Amino acid sequence: MAVAALRRLALRGPVPVHAAIGTDALAAVDDLSLDPRISVQQSPRHAAILLVAGPLRDEDRSDLCRLHDQLPHPRATVFWRTDPAIQIADPPVVSVEDDAAATIASVYRSLIEEGRPSEPDLQPDTPPNPWRGKGDHGQGGEGMMGGTPYGRPMAMTGDDLRDGLQLDPYTAEFGPFLPVFPPGLKLRITLQGDVIQFAKVLRPPLPQEEQSGPSAALRRIARQLRLLGLTGQAARALRLASVGDGKAAGVRRLRRLVKWSGSGQAIPPGLGRVGGADVRDRLAAWWEVASGETAEARAPDRTLVDLLPGLEWSEAMLVLNSFDIATLTGMCPIEKREDKAHSEEEKDAPEPHDHDGHQDQMRGAA
Amino acid sequence: MTALAGATIAGTAAALVALAVFLIGRKAAHVPTTDPQKVPLLGGGAPETHAWQRYHVRYYSMTLLFIAFEMEMMFMYPWAVVFVKEGAKAMVEMGMFLAILSIGILYGWREGIFKWQ
Repeated sequence: MAVAALRRLALRGPVPVHAAIGTDALAAVDDLSLDPRISVQQSPRHAAILLVAGPLRDEDRSDLCRLHDQLPHPRATVFWRTDPAIQIADPPVVSVEDDAAATIASVYRSLIEEGRPSEPDLQPDTPPNPWRGKGDHGQGGEGMMGGTPYGRPMAMTGDDLRDGLQLDPYTAEFGPFLPVFPPGLKLRITLQGDVIQFAKVLRPPLPQEEQSGPSAALRRIARQLRLLGLTGQAARALRLASVGDGKAAGVRRLRRLVKWSGSGQAIPPGLGRVGGADVRDRLAAWWEVASGETAEARAPDRTLVDLLPGLEWSEAMLVLNSFDIATLTGMCPIEKREDKAHSEEEKDAPEPHDHDGHQDQMRGAA
Repeated sequence: MTALAGATIAGTAAALVALAVFLIGRKAAHVPTTDPQKVPLLGGGAPETHAWQRYHVRYYSMTLLFIAFEMEMMFMYPWAVVFVKEGAKAMVEMGMFLAILSIGILYGWREGIFKWQ
């Protein structure tokens, strides 16, 4: 009975959706997030529906499988403006013209009420590396560095950029569906604490439609406002972006509100300076464009991988989202493009000390 | 006798609560966590290393300074109450105490606590 009551409660609220955004779908997902039937979640853990919006690259499919398996049960996947990219039995597909929110709501209802089976994992239920160590309980070998608990090797020490202290760096591939990243961007980042030590572009962002004009500027402002914690104002900016003309007065009001909130001070001055303009300057230029004026475009003179090292994670996210997608793509040259098959396996990262055994294991698993 | 009865009732109640929590937890966790679910949120990417690792607590020097001054105050209040009665002995004791704490402050100075960065 209690479960039935919980079910009724779950159905009354908006549908928790996590979006994996592909080509030309960012603006559509932003508009969809304004729908009261939908609540777009920043984490797959909080979602019941995985919305795959827009076509993906072939190499993104395995990442999509990994993301899919992170949703808790019961879960379902909805494909919007794209063909099913991963192997799922009976996937709901929504075309461009259809009402995506209605389909998502009906899939959610059938998932909760009518016994639509929850989608099983797409990946095998095995740890990424064998991890049974020497100990009685399967723990690792000698000391802190021994073993691969739960299939993940322990971090080895590496130099910190700031003072050369040797502590444990954390290296991981972020993206291509990380909500705080521009869609499609995949980076390999090495962190010490929350400071980026090294970054490498694995895949550039996916192209998105509508790169200029007041609406596009407002959408970019909305992303930046969300990063600054002003989610309500971000939704207001998106609503303004989705109306046609006559938004100048609304933009002025919103800009004044954001200015008086003081949240602009959270962006450090001089952060992410490219072509003479920092993040604050670029945000100001977007406000100009949003209120119908023109702002001069500056050509980027630095690449993204030069820009990120030394920044804290929060600063790096502000920098990443302070460029439009076309400019950011221009700043993301993939090194050794001809050697594409191996570009994701090779490592230019500063080699951690005494990491050979683990490296071999990781390669073997890959 | 009543004290023993009270203890028995309290012990039984605690055991029942513990048992209930244990059973509810087992029932609620009937969906086993699979390995693909144990991956941290990286937007589709995968980590190369375990998340159990050491990083530098960079505010430690601030903590050192805070504790040095806080300990001073904690001892100084009761000391001020008995200072008149105890006289020179209390004065010497406080001098020793402050000398030890000021070593910590000097160490912090060497580490650059007082520089505003």
